[in-house]
Amino acid sequence: MILVGQLCLLFSFVALGFAAYACLLGAFRGLPRLTKIGRHCAAAGVFTLTVVVVVLVTALLLKDFQLSYVAQYSSRELAWYYSVSALWVGQAGSLLLWTWMLGSLSLVFRLAHRSHPAALMDAALGILMAFCCFLAGTMVFAADPMEFNIAGGEKGAGLSPLLHHPAMMIHPPIVFLGYSFWAIPCALVIASLCAYGGNSAAQNRSAEFVGLWVRIAQPWILMAWTILGGGILLGAYWSYEELGWGGYWAWDPVENGSLIPWLVGSALVHSLMAWKHCRILKKTTIGLSIACFALCNFSTFLTRSGIFSSLHAFSESPIGWLFLGLMLSLTVLGLALIVYRREPLRAGGAITSLWTREALIVIAIVALLLLATVTLLGTISVAISEFVIGRRVTVGPMFYNYTLIPVSLVLLATMSTAPVFRWRVAPSRREKTVFLAAAAFALVPLVIAGILGVRQPLAFAVIWLSAGVTITHLAPVFVPHWPGQQRGTGIRWWNRLLFNRRMHSSYLIHLGFVALVVGVTGSSLGSRSQEIVLARGERVGWEDRSVRFKELVQRESREKLVVEAIIEVTQGHNAPVQLRPAQEYHRLQNQWTTEVAIHSTWRGDFYIVMQADADAESVRLTLIDNPLMRLIWLGGWVIVVGAGIRIWPPGRRGKNGQQRGHEVREDHRHTLHARHLVPRDAVCERQEVLSGNHE
Amino acid sequence: MAITLKLGIAAGVVIAATVYMAYLGSRSSWQYYLSVEEVLRDATELTGRPIRVSGSVVANSISFSPGNSAATFQIGKENAALAVRCGGPLPDNLEDGAEVVVEGFLDESGILAGDKVLTRCASKYRSEPPVPSVKTASSQGRPS
Repeated sequence: MILVGQLCLLFSFVALGFAAYACLLGAFRGLPRLTKIGRHCAAAGVFTLTVVVVVLVTALLLKDFQLSYVAQYSSRELAWYYSVSALWVGQAGSLLLWTWMLGSLSLVFRLAHRSHPAALMDAALGILMAFCCFLAGTMVFAADPMEFNIAGGEKGAGLSPLLHHPAMMIHPPIVFLGYSFWAIPCALVIASLCAYGGNSAAQNRSAEFVGLWVRIAQPWILMAWTILGGGILLGAYWSYEELGWGGYWAWDPVENGSLIPWLVGSALVHSLMAWKHCRILKKTTIGLSIACFALCNFSTFLTRSGIFSSLHAFSESPIGWLFLGLMLSLTVLGLALIVYRREPLRAGGAITSLWTREALIVIAIVALLLLATVTLLGTISVAISEFVIGRRVTVGPMFYNYTLIPVSLVLLATMSTAPVFRWRVAPSRREKTVFLAAAAFALVPLVIAGILGVRQPLAFAVIWLSAGVTITHLAPVFVPHWPGQQRGTGIRWWNRLLFNRRMHSSYLIHLGFVALVVGVTGSSLGSRSQEIVLARGERVGWEDRSVRFKELVQRESREKLVVEAIIEVTQGHNAPVQLRPAQEYHRLQNQWTTEVAIHSTWRGDFYIVMQADADAESVRLTLIDNPLMRLIWLGGWVIVVGAGIRIWPPGRRGKNGQQRGHEVREDHRHTLHARHLVPRDAVCERQEVLSGNHE
Repeated sequence: MAITLKLGIAAGVVIAATVYMAYLGSRSSWQYYLSVEEVLRDATELTGRPIRVSGSVVANSISFSPGNSAATFQIGKENAALAVRCGGPLPDNLEDGAEVVVEGFLDESGILAGDKVLTRCASKYRSEPPVPSVKTASSQGRPS
């Protein structure tokens, strides 16, 4: 079985390399037979990679310790689901998973767009296959998942107990899937800009392809952004539940590594909208789409180079530097292509007023890129300082808090005005009045917060801006005749909601962001902790809760010893809640881990950590009160759901030629001046007349 | 005034404010990130400064206080080790040979008074296989 895996890995490396060569050469030289061979090679390469994945997963499930990878990350006692998750725990396995995901996604992409110009699609497939070949090459030459276990042995080292968590079973593959999705728009844009040499015909062809790119790439960009965001959220959830320090984000290089491409991706999502609606920010959009995938490689460099100060134990292998090389190559190529193809990328419009949506988007993009830059600088501060002053210097969470909070407030401010302002047209007097009224109305929650005891200026700023965003985003749905609303008289609010699904799903994403910001602010500013020692049966009051240590329970199994404290928590007149913080001793790894207990309500989380020195008569506990934590997870999932609705394709054409639903795209809703709901076909026809080449 | 200029000024203000805040943030939170060798070499210069030191725990050097609320141990190599004294919650996998990052101050006696000990997550992308060892639970001073 191992031999089959080894041969398949080698074959896939060769097949993917040849697929890249054949697709690129065939596409650029106009040789359809060659590109056909290239496509078949790509399919063969991905198929053999699938065989390698199957072999490794089977070996992990069957505990075949002849494979070095299985011996390192699995054990006889490991449950089958954790055995499967061991696939992405090690370096070689994670590279295999990423390559397989990228390869499969590339084939899906090519199949999904077979009606588009073959020259463009085959060139993009060729670039994607080159990425796959690069990843397969790192496995063949530096991190072989099919390596034979020379040492032998009947026992494996097992999976680190910290990774025995449901979130960790899906967090890494989701992040790798997000990275794979980011490769698609990047490859497609490089293929568009590289079209056919440097003469004027090539410029025109590039212009045509770049126009196509905007339409094709958008759903892939949104999917990449959503999936990576979901992956980051799961990582934060794992950190909160498993690491037992009471927080969810430690500004560790690994965490920052995936956050940076997501922030740049957020800027890309907005610049793409500005391009589609106003034909501006074309070079920025192209640059950002390449930067997103380049930064995914940078993230891989961070986790595998071993040069950054991190809590994760990384191997100091040359693999990390290969990814840095790929990132730098992509950056240089992207810049060169933007300069070389500046003519097709010339802006087709201009910002006409500071009080338009596109102007707000420019400010939002600047803010998002600042967030990404600050995070990047903080992450690589060790390397920068060593280069500049000869000493390695790190920055702490204060650095991020000082900079990111004000920038996030700028983002909230732009978000609050976005639904009121329009594309290309300055707001009318009525719209300005409505906006000021909304800003004034947003002061009401501020006053309530003051009465309830909130005193921090930052909390006031966040509450005011968040209330502003909520009002301006919900009012167009629920308040008739609100500016920015479809001017249909007598339309019910749920019809209004369906009437413009894409616009309202964007609003939902913004509202999710608001919930997330409020949760982060509440949990950061209001968090309190206390360490206490409780004797058996003793009860103490902390904050507005009463905490009682009932007893210590010990459970034993083949794999571990669990020592659990039973803690009774009573809050106000509510019924008592039993929490069970624990310490677990994992025999195989000879390691103790802390299992926290969390009582979660909408008001906040009550988080208990049991310290190591417990005995039957007393227990030392760390009590942490984290307010509004649920809003963080809720906000994150609202963003994911909103993005899912945004990506969902529009209704198909029925048998009688009528469209299902009555969706109007947001592009030109203000120029339609529809007085009533009209069938979608009629609206689209009018839109096409008005909008020219918009989707 | 041209729209682009106005927009440029708005963006410039946001950037300038961020740079200033970054300066304030880094001034209040920066730390030297050092190896044990560097700390031992420049001990006089580093005394009293906030530092972050990375190294592995010297075998048989860990000593927990009664109640496990504090610990003393050494990091580095046996012949060139830095003594660490640390209170507060200690990480689960603080053990012989563990890769740790200690944040704190170097006191005048050359002991690193740690505010925080972080052990590296020995799981992902590890190049060397772990060597399982046999220890009893009670030898680590943990609940039994």
